[in-house]
Amino acid sequence: MISSRHIMTWRGVGLAAAIFVFVFLILPTAIVIIMSFGDKRDLVFPPTGFSLDLFRRFFAEPGWTQSALLSFRIAILSATLSLVMGTAAAIGLARSRFRGKGLVSLFLHSPIMIPGVAIALALYLYLNMLGIRNNDARLILGHVVMTLPFVLVTVSAGLRHIDETLETVATVMGAGLFTVFRRVTVPLLAPALTIGWLFAFVTSFDEVIVSWFLVRAGHMTLPVKMYSSIMFDISPVLAAVSTMLTGLTVFACIVMAAMQKKEA
Amino acid sequence: MGDGTPATPKRRQLTLEQRHALYTALLIAPATLFMLFVYAVPLAYVVSVSLADKTTGAFSIGSYQQVATSSLFYKVTWTTLQISALATITSLLLAYPIALYMNYQSARVRAFLMLLVLVPFWTSILVKSYAFTVIFGQAGVVNQLLGLVGLPSVKLLFNRVGVIIGMTHYLVPFLVLTILTSLRSIPPDLPRAASIMGASKLVVFRRVVLPLSMPGVIAGSALVFILSLGFYVVPALLGGRQDVMLANLVEFYLREALNWQMASTIAVMLLLTAALFVALLFKTRAGAALAGEQRA
Repeated sequence: MISSRHIMTWRGVGLAAAIFVFVFLILPTAIVIIMSFGDKRDLVFPPTGFSLDLFRRFFAEPGWTQSALLSFRIAILSATLSLVMGTAAAIGLARSRFRGKGLVSLFLHSPIMIPGVAIALALYLYLNMLGIRNNDARLILGHVVMTLPFVLVTVSAGLRHIDETLETVATVMGAGLFTVFRRVTVPLLAPALTIGWLFAFVTSFDEVIVSWFLVRAGHMTLPVKMYSSIMFDISPVLAAVSTMLTGLTVFACIVMAAMQKKEA
Repeated sequence: MGDGTPATPKRRQLTLEQRHALYTALLIAPATLFMLFVYAVPLAYVVSVSLADKTTGAFSIGSYQQVATSSLFYKVTWTTLQISALATITSLLLAYPIALYMNYQSARVRAFLMLLVLVPFWTSILVKSYAFTVIFGQAGVVNQLLGLVGLPSVKLLFNRVGVIIGMTHYLVPFLVLTILTSLRSIPPDLPRAASIMGASKLVVFRRVVLPLSMPGVIAGSALVFILSLGFYVVPALLGGRQDVMLANLVEFYLREALNWQMASTIAVMLLLTAALFVALLFKTRAGAALAGEQRA
């Protein structure tokens, strides 16, 4: 027999386990964020005083700011391209029935399941063979492959929330297919489109492996620069970068959560 | 339509269905063509490189023969499977309790806890890896604390422990999300009925909740295991020489051994391994449910 005392114990164990896991998930990043505001040249925990030195160093060292700007440029362009092509494909797939539709959908989603290193190697060899040397072009091509499936997932989910009869009504009232798309589907989809773009932006901004294979010497994206710094010199500036990157992530996360609420 | 507005003769020939088909094609074509030429063709190119002779470029299965007799390849494959299995199990052990805990909270608390899961989910893997090097390093926070209480320092970095900690941290949110979805879809009447019939809370959990959450557990574990197979950053930054995984081996052959054929062959083997497990996942009921959920 299990007494109520036992149940209390089990509940206690459950609570303790949950707290442990949340601490495990949050604490490492939290510690780095705290350390990034320390006043020593080397990282210590707990910090002995408050300073913004590491952030100043980030903006003073041209390598870091250049990488950050490159990452922003690539992420904005890749997310936008992915959004345009992904949204069109999501609508095309959701509002039609044809033979082989499942196959097309599976193909467009498949990069999510495929090991990134295979895509990275494939693009590296292929773009070299074609002689595509432009750093931006190489990165954008790679990042669109990595982000398009996520746009497809979010926009397809958004389309499921839309009442399809609204489109039908508009069609019956005489609107052409393109007008329906522009005046009915897109406005209703706005929250999903925002989520999709942000999803793609963050994925591209954080992308490591494809960029690591495709970047040309001297043109590192922020994650590539971080990767090589963790690998070779462990600069304390990394703590400041981590803080800013996490800030950006939390911001994107909150916007996406707000949009999701709007959608429901 | 049918109101007699004059249209160009060509326009009139297209029925509504035909126009719909045309629009569908125009909508799907850009993404499909892009992925065809920037994703499918490069992957096919990798397969062709893996099947070419290193010097002459003629068709050859030499690289596959070399891989088949390479003890390094077997060792790394075994390491990859071991690490992936271990990381999946530890992630599951951590994720289930909090998914269960979240399931029993009010919507407001659950939304807050969800944010605590989503922020690490979205946090850059490099920020996480860097955090672990700072915290678990030789002079890191953990060892400083151990030193303060007079305990010897422990090595948690550049070994298997470091890799498992890093991967688990990355994978737990995926599992929480899939398991929680499964738990939320259990009709509340079922556990209630069981407890009205006299089942204790523990029995309700073991006989009703746990079995009904299994689709989420199985699908989530399979997803996480497949993701693990392709891990690259975590073993490279937190692991030691004994923790090289297949993705790292691809890079080794490309950058250090400068052997495109071997790099391609190992990438193909990794792809096939991942594809095998994806196929196995879709064979299970949970996988079918997951796929159905996406289609619905």
